[in-house]
Amino acid sequence: MLRRKSRIGKMKKELANIFGDLNIKKQAEDLGVSVWETPSFLFILMGMIIMVVMAVIYFISRHYESPELLIVSESLVVIFIFTVGNVIIRGVENVARINKMKSEFVSIASHQLKTPLTQLNWEIELLLSRYAEGLTKKQLDIIKDVSHSHLRMAKLTNDLLDVARIDQGKMVLLEEKFDLLKLVEDVIQSEKNLAEEHNVKVKVNIPAALPEIKGDKRRTGVVVDNLLSNAIKYTDRQGEVEVSVERKDATVTACIKDNGVGIPKYQQDQVFQKFFRSDNAARYQEEGTGLGLYIAKNIIEQSGGKLWFQSEENIGSTFCLSLPLEPTKAKGKFKI
Amino acid sequence: MKTKKILIVEDDSILQKTLQEFLSTEGFETTSASDGEKAVELARSGKPDLILLDIILPKKDGYEVIKDLKSDQGTRSIPIILLTNLGSMHDVEKALNLGATTYLVKADYKLEEVVAKIKEVLSIN
Repeated sequence: MLRRKSRIGKMKKELANIFGDLNIKKQAEDLGVSVWETPSFLFILMGMIIMVVMAVIYFISRHYESPELLIVSESLVVIFIFTVGNVIIRGVENVARINKMKSEFVSIASHQLKTPLTQLNWEIELLLSRYAEGLTKKQLDIIKDVSHSHLRMAKLTNDLLDVARIDQGKMVLLEEKFDLLKLVEDVIQSEKNLAEEHNVKVKVNIPAALPEIKGDKRRTGVVVDNLLSNAIKYTDRQGEVEVSVERKDATVTACIKDNGVGIPKYQQDQVFQKFFRSDNAARYQEEGTGLGLYIAKNIIEQSGGKLWFQSEENIGSTFCLSLPLEPTKAKGKFKI
Repeated sequence: MKTKKILIVEDDSILQKTLQEFLSTEGFETTSASDGEKAVELARSGKPDLILLDIILPKKDGYEVIKDLKSDQGTRSIPIILLTNLGSMHDVEKALNLGATTYLVKADYKLEEVVAKIKEVLSIN
């Protein structure tokens, strides 16, 4: 009796394992359909029904020596398999279509946002560069705050558009020659204010010169900027960030090391996922969409390089990217 | 040095106005068109030194405008800078193949950078 119980328990465990591997519930949540409509569930159902029907046919054919009956029942099974298969394919198609629509919606919406964002950008620039005379300090402060909000909005719009492009496989990178060292120096310069705000010292450890690399200058700049601003933002008082660049054979590696909050061990495998923000990062900084690293990884990998990190909570993180001097596969054809 | 004439082709009135004002303060003479047909007309009659051209326009899109101007002896040599928010490589490639000089994505550039690009193109021509 006991043995039987334990065998049933074992079977239950095995079944749970099988279902756990397939994780129908999670699939249903991910796809936004009910459990009965998930492809995994329908596949299992189909398999079970086929087995049952086959067994039934086998027993029937032993009792009745009629080939017609066999053919009819076989046909029924085939019809059934086709029907369920069709339902599964239609379900998958539906999910794919919804996904595509979502992606298209994001790209259309963010594209539509670009005109008003450009208007804001240019109007503020016109005001500050041509008509700032006579404005009081208070008025100028307000305009600068508006400008800051605009920049945040523009960055978010660009990020959303990039994510949509990545999802649709339409991210196109230019191929132009540029000086990575100068790019890194420019990024450090542009984040100077942020570093001062956070009271973070930025140390630089880069060689005197490097051969020019071929790739997308603007987007590589976006990646470096992302890594550096993360390092600064998630580093507490008395923080230190070190930017180093070195060349090994035909590869250039840039690393950005900080002594900041770090990423908890249990979340490290999710760092490059869309919309990911570590628990402690979210506590530490409310700003941030969790898109930056996802985009960064896609840009670097599409450029033929690698992006990786090491991190320990409360000790700090080091993010590194490596890029080939010459890209391996041709992508863009523009030299602008 | 003679004042350089810039034709701004932009259907959004705010963008058109800001471009026009900024370029005027930089010492350029400007004319503006809000649609493709008017753009071709003004390019033929006004003989600008350079054209800033949007792609999505009423009546005639930017591609058609480039085709018209490049097939006309009188306007063929006018440099065209595409100023667009259509960031996809396909659009840009199409316009550059038709004969546009270069392109800028509006949302990524400040007015002073647009001016720098205009000066750069004018000095080459």
